[in-house]
Amino acid sequence: MLKLWRKIRAHGRVAEPPVPGRRGPLAAGLRGSVQIRHVDAGSCGGCEVEVGTAFGPVYDAERYGARMVASPRHADALLVTGVVTRNMAGPLRRTYDAVPAPRLVVAVGDCARDCGMLAGAYGVSGAVRDVLPVNAEIPGCPPRPEDIVAAIREMTGR
Amino acid sequence: MSLAGSGLVLAVAVASLACLAVLALPARFRPAAAGAGAALAGAGGLVSGIAMLSGRTFTVALPGALPLSGLEFTAGRLSGYFVAVTGAVAIPAGVYAIGYARHAGTSRSACVFLPLFAVSMLLVPVSATAATLLLCWELMALTSLLLVLAEHRRRPEVAEAGRWYAVMTHLGFACILAGLMLTGGGSLAAGRHLSPALAGTVFVLALIGFGSKAGAVPLHAWLPRAHPEAPSHVSALMSAAMVNMGVYGIVRTGFGLLGGGARWWWLLVMLLGVVSSLYGILQAAVSSDLKRLLGYSTTENMGLVLTGVGAAGLFEDSGHRMLAGLALAAALLHVAGHAAFKTLLFLSAGSAAQRAGTRDLDALGGLRAGMPATTAAFGWGALAASALPPGTAFVSEWLLVQALIHGLRSGGTIGAVVLPAAVAAVALTAGLAVATFVKAFGTGFLARPRSDGAARATEAPASMLAGMGLAAAACALLALLPGIVLPALARAAGVAAGPAVTGLVTLRLSGAAGELSPLLLTLALLAVMMAAAGCLRALPGRRARRAARLWDCGSGPLTARMEYTATSFAEPLQRVFDDVLAPETDIDVTHLDEARYLVTAVQYRRMVPDRIEHRLYRPVLAAVRAWGTAGRRLAPGSVHRYLGYGFCAVTVLLIVLAVTR
Repeated sequence: MLKLWRKIRAHGRVAEPPVPGRRGPLAAGLRGSVQIRHVDAGSCGGCEVEVGTAFGPVYDAERYGARMVASPRHADALLVTGVVTRNMAGPLRRTYDAVPAPRLVVAVGDCARDCGMLAGAYGVSGAVRDVLPVNAEIPGCPPRPEDIVAAIREMTGR
Repeated sequence: MSLAGSGLVLAVAVASLACLAVLALPARFRPAAAGAGAALAGAGGLVSGIAMLSGRTFTVALPGALPLSGLEFTAGRLSGYFVAVTGAVAIPAGVYAIGYARHAGTSRSACVFLPLFAVSMLLVPVSATAATLLLCWELMALTSLLLVLAEHRRRPEVAEAGRWYAVMTHLGFACILAGLMLTGGGSLAAGRHLSPALAGTVFVLALIGFGSKAGAVPLHAWLPRAHPEAPSHVSALMSAAMVNMGVYGIVRTGFGLLGGGARWWWLLVMLLGVVSSLYGILQAAVSSDLKRLLGYSTTENMGLVLTGVGAAGLFEDSGHRMLAGLALAAALLHVAGHAAFKTLLFLSAGSAAQRAGTRDLDALGGLRAGMPATTAAFGWGALAASALPPGTAFVSEWLLVQALIHGLRSGGTIGAVVLPAAVAAVALTAGLAVATFVKAFGTGFLARPRSDGAARATEAPASMLAGMGLAAAACALLALLPGIVLPALARAAGVAAGPAVTGLVTLRLSGAAGELSPLLLTLALLAVMMAAAGCLRALPGRRARRAARLWDCGSGPLTARMEYTATSFAEPLQRVFDDVLAPETDIDVTHLDEARYLVTAVQYRRMVPDRIEHRLYRPVLAAVRAWGTAGRRLAPGSVHRYLGYGFCAVTVLLIVLAVTR
């Protein structure tokens, strides 16, 4: 136990240094606090790992005023990962309808931006922008957590 | 004869006429005759009861009506109170029966006993002698038994409920008979001097007999069976008026006939009351049959009344007459309040069950669309029953808790142990009652219909709605202005030191700090609610509004199968009280023939049986059955053996006579 305490004292904070933020136009109207609902529209799971990392203890996106919530009714923004499959196009649209205005949509990952390597597959309905108006896109397959945190800071303005 | 007597005579006359009319008229007019007879008899009883409460007296003696003892009726203040409550219950139940019985059953037996039942309940409290009381009591039991059996052709459960009721009511009758015989006199007037041991025996016998009628645990087993199976107006009469006769019997025997008595009597009454209220409301909370739930709630409310009666006895014993008056007034007010809201609840539950074709809360729901008036009536009744302002039960339970709390300083050592436990039990009961009635109203009437019957239900006819309306008005009166019945309560409780609670709009406890104004409290609540609604309406008006569909996780429309059911609503409670309720769970897993690792079907069943019934009654029933089987060997059907029995008996008799002469 004592050893553990000593280790904690010796190491101090191990979180990454804050990513330099971009104050974007998205922050207007949300006043520094953004509740986010994540929608997996047909992802392989890689983007989810990175989103989880961004909200984990190392990158700690919550310190910038963002929070994951369980219902679109509570949300200000949708974080959509993966290509939009045929089965998920309707639910994605309904989820967007359930979010109160003002609302934002962030497409996370290459698949969400332009279908990536799955473009043209039979079950794919399109990229997120083909279904919903997209406010921000995060490139990468999978995207780096730093990029996700930067996009979130753009939304919160903090 | 005074107004009090003539009201009752009128009630008897009207009921007899109605019975004759039912026998003579064709089936179409029978429910109307029976219902009108019961309602008019109730009106006569109400007038007579109010007259008795205001001090009018009468004595009717019919020496030739019953051989050896005759019949004798006399007025009293306590009797007047119970006559008035019974009459007031019979009016809405009778009006309701006109429309209900037209669809339920128009057979002669289902109709003819209704006015008789109402009038026998009116006569029980005014009986002056033991023989009269027992006769009226038996008449009440028999007529109610026949009314319970009205639908026995349609549902086989009715016959079983009838058997339970018949056996238990007659065991109770036997106890009352034995108790009254032990007092050694015909009259029920006070001032008999018995030795303490004999008086204790009489009281315990009377407590068993009257307590089983009041549905006190562990003598409640008949109540949640018989009340749900009876037609709903009969359920209302039984649950709101007949159980009160048990309370009347206990109060009359304990305070009147035996004149107080030892402390342990009242501790016993209080223990019965506390156990009944807790056990009753727990069973109600996990019950998914709407009328069974209401039946258990009757046990709970009678338990609260008995708690008040027991507390009154304790205070009387320790010489605190003011507190005794307060506790008894709370108990009697709860009797009236319970009568009002239980009538309303049973009547509205009956029309819901009749229209939807089921009493199962897991199959009801969504009645608000088809039956708005019935839904409103049940909602008001549920609020009245759940001890929250502006409910009816709130006022009486507040008074009861006040009496118990103020008694802490004066109850001695026993009081210091018993009274806080009773306060805790009343508080727990009140909390569980809220959960129970939220469940009953929310899953039974709101949300979406869970079965075709519930979806197709239409509003009840006008006479049934009128019955519910009368009961709802009585609930509102008792909830908002309980002050108007306080003088009657004080007289009925018979407190010499003056009324324990005074005031019309604001109730003040005399001799103790505490006051409550249900009317002003309700107005304040209404004002707050309207202000909140106004703010909500005014504030978002500046922002843009958008209509969006209900959030259903993005997958298809919501169905009734996704709703909270009564069983799932009660599941957490059932889990908390697992040790008390001891639910039984069956899981049947059917495997695939080829591989036992693959499952084709899983069947899950959960029941919450009445544990007291299982533990207490099963061994008794088994013993009775064993006795019966053993007794059968004596009578194998051989004529020779029977002749031999006769011969032996005569010979033994002759020998005995020869020896003793």
